[in-house]
Amino acid sequence: MATATATATATAGGSVKSFSISRQWQARIGYAILIAVLAYLVVLPMIRLQMLAFEDGGAGYRTQYGRYDVAEAIWTTIALALGSLVIAMVLGTVLAFAASRLPEKLGWLRIVPILPIVMPAVANIVGWAFLLSPGPGYLNVLLRKLPWWSGTDTGPIDVYTIPWIVILTGFGLTSFVYLFVSSGMQNISSEHLEAAQVSGSSTVGIFFKIVLPLLRPSLIYGGGIALLLGLGQFTGPLLLGQNSGVKVLTTEMYRRVSESPSDFAAAAAAGSPLVIFGLVLVLVQKVLLGNQTRFVTHGGKAFASSTGRATWATATVVIFSMFALVIPLIGLIIVSLTPYWSGSLSWGLLTLDNFRELWSTSAITESVVTSVLTSLGAVIICIPIGYALANLLVRGRRFKILALLADLMTALPLGIPAVIFGVGFLLTYTEPPFILYGTRTVIILVYIVLMLPFATRMQMTAMLALGNTYNEASATSGASPFVTTLRIMLPLMRPTVLSAVALMFILLTHEFAASLLVRASTTQVMGTLLFDMWQNGSYPMVAAMALLMTAVTTIGVAIAMLVGGRNVLSKL
Amino acid sequence: MASQFAVSGLTKTYGSNVVVDQLDLEIEQGEFLVLLGPSGCGKTTTLRCLAGLETPQGGSISFDGRHVFDASTKTDVPAHKRNIGMVFQSYALWPHMTVRDNIRYPLKVRKLKQAIADGAVEKAAEMVDCGALLDRYPSQLSGGQQQRVAVARGLVAQPDLVLFDEPLSNLDARLRDQVRSQIHQLHQSLGFTAVFVTHDQAEAFALADRIAIMKSGRIEQYDAPEHVFENPVSEYVAAFIGMGNRLELRRAHDGWNTSANDVIDLSNASVRDRADEGTAAVARFRPDDVQMHASMDDVPAGNVALHAELVTYEYAGRHFDVLVKTGTEQLALRASAAEHSATLRASDPGTPMVISFSPSSLRVYADPDAAAVTVPELVAPGVGDRS
Repeated sequence: MATATATATATAGGSVKSFSISRQWQARIGYAILIAVLAYLVVLPMIRLQMLAFEDGGAGYRTQYGRYDVAEAIWTTIALALGSLVIAMVLGTVLAFAASRLPEKLGWLRIVPILPIVMPAVANIVGWAFLLSPGPGYLNVLLRKLPWWSGTDTGPIDVYTIPWIVILTGFGLTSFVYLFVSSGMQNISSEHLEAAQVSGSSTVGIFFKIVLPLLRPSLIYGGGIALLLGLGQFTGPLLLGQNSGVKVLTTEMYRRVSESPSDFAAAAAAGSPLVIFGLVLVLVQKVLLGNQTRFVTHGGKAFASSTGRATWATATVVIFSMFALVIPLIGLIIVSLTPYWSGSLSWGLLTLDNFRELWSTSAITESVVTSVLTSLGAVIICIPIGYALANLLVRGRRFKILALLADLMTALPLGIPAVIFGVGFLLTYTEPPFILYGTRTVIILVYIVLMLPFATRMQMTAMLALGNTYNEASATSGASPFVTTLRIMLPLMRPTVLSAVALMFILLTHEFAASLLVRASTTQVMGTLLFDMWQNGSYPMVAAMALLMTAVTTIGVAIAMLVGGRNVLSKL
Repeated sequence: MASQFAVSGLTKTYGSNVVVDQLDLEIEQGEFLVLLGPSGCGKTTTLRCLAGLETPQGGSISFDGRHVFDASTKTDVPAHKRNIGMVFQSYALWPHMTVRDNIRYPLKVRKLKQAIADGAVEKAAEMVDCGALLDRYPSQLSGGQQQRVAVARGLVAQPDLVLFDEPLSNLDARLRDQVRSQIHQLHQSLGFTAVFVTHDQAEAFALADRIAIMKSGRIEQYDAPEHVFENPVSEYVAAFIGMGNRLELRRAHDGWNTSANDVIDLSNASVRDRADEGTAAVARFRPDDVQMHASMDDVPAGNVALHAELVTYEYAGRHFDVLVKTGTEQLALRASAAEHSATLRASDPGTPMVISFSPSSLRVYADPDAAAVTVPELVAPGVGDRS
């Protein structure tokens, strides 16, 4: 009865073409070309920068690190990064825990901690400047009404100092930490908590012994991202610290490039510690997280929403949204309605002139068009690239080296600050073979690089969640890989793709750091134009412009929600 | 005669882990083959190699005399060109399509427009009693309905070969029986060729024309269900198909000694019993072949009787599932509730009792632990051969 070896099957051997091998090579070549193009975009500018910095026996490094104040700049960079990291980690985790404890009725508040992302960083920073500037800042004026601060013309708070730059940066990063931690919290079922409870743990014990350890991957990942963003922080230090002499490495880079004569070599050298640290952090994170399946918790009911009084939870979320969103918006609105910015306010002075001027200034309307077009262009190009890379990373067991390169390529723009890409692109695309300086194309290219991590990782997460079975069911039904992608994968991934589009649109219409370097005076995006106004001291116009930026983003998100359903933002 | 589907020398490894090891298999036209084995034995990997979802490292697979995979010529026809149907454990109905669209999909992507026009989709849905559900989405169906729709999707294009990957494992017990019997009826009426993977022996016996029991990437026994049931070729197979009771034996001059030093006389069971004294062996038998008695006097003539003590018992309706201990070994048996209820309810663990079984219900194998000893005449096809 034991099976006899087949004898009659050899007849047709070889008559069928070897589909798989050639298919595999087609895919391999396709991926290789894609990675080569991305390497040109992502890696080449970095290499050009380093080559320049090492020219003339490292003249760039000598200029930059021979300066008397270089230690101060490095120290400030580290202080800014660590300080804002601590603030963001604590606030982000507390907010995520609070959001999970919100009463059922107030569940919609969960989205509130994400909303500060919709408000551009430049808008947020100038909003706080209008409130906490030592002289005419409105909150300072109010505080000076208190008896113990009366009798002075300035203070008590000076937003142009390092501690306040740290605090405001920390607020900005909190939303990112919140995103990661709250998605991690959704993986913890109420049964995990109840099991600890019936084993005798107190609420505090549960938080420290169960919740925090299970959140470890989210905390490490979110913390890593926040640290990188903190190190590369540019907007706050530039807008608030420029005139008070606060220097960090990113603003040093900008100064080297923007002063004349510009010194790219020194700028490149200034950025090197950030590049190296970014690379190290990306690698460390991979090692630390290791096998993530260990942290996959199983099924059960979702994280229990609290039944008791969760007033503290509601209060926490509301207070955060006040500081991160409402108060700076109020500052912007007040200044945008006044003819000039001074500490005093009266109803009679309020005017809409600033907004009228917005519409009538062609440079401003052009900047809106440029921002929207370049953002959309980058998003449209980035989504298919991200899909291909995600596919390679998820299913690319056969292409180990290519997958490794793809992983690196999508991690680099996350690890390296946008300012450095800005400088690198400025250097690379003002020279042959591609002279693109001053075009929208170069803005789109740098935007594509900045968005690669988001486009890839969001789609990768969705693919991992969908698993392989839907694809296999399609293949065994007789559908080719192309048909499977078109009819099965794309429809199933639609919500994710729309979320990715929304997120990328938000981030790009806000983009400031890289844009500031690759823009030309004739090709401006909204953020760079706002910066010019800030430099010129036309503050009411700055406020109006900041509100306009917020409005453009909001409209974009609203459209995304209309198309993709209301969950688009909560999927972020 | 050439078989319709033939697998020869199939080898699949993941790193250094050999999952399928030089496997040979033949499947006749219209046959329902069940691959049976515990998790990790390579049965699902074998199925996925047949589907074209895995690329083996060696061997060949041919459909109807045509190689769809051949390592030596680097032939590997992709899954979508193999003309198969497949039913998955997790149903794998596409959630964004209605039931109708799901069932129609294999026809549509194969451009079988005539079949769609002839109402093949509706017929397939009717076949699995899901005709009324055509416009629903999968999320609106129960697990049993989803899996029946998945079966319809697998069969609708009348593929050469239908592959089932543990399709009943995710269903609860009652639904599992329903869907199983539906698959059986469909096979009887349509006569498709099927390979069905499961770890459940009851499913295998119910559905199979032939069962292939797998162990460590190889086929241990490939036979009709009745033959597998009566004459398992190895202790591994015997244990897997329900011969849960295991007695270690050692040849003594007057018979076989158990670990409790009871003597079992197998000479009446036409055993070709010529083993040397001291030879070790293992007997396997089913719990339903063991009886329980109040005293030695009640043991039927010809049965082997053993002294045992009660470990525990569970009420199961018409019978009790009883666990007893004899020597170092625990044996399970089924005791009729009508006969033994009162005795069992009054007995504490440790109560002495008598059990017996017919020697012909035993299958004896060379003890795998006593590696040096071989007892060729005791090995397959079973010692207590009733033929």
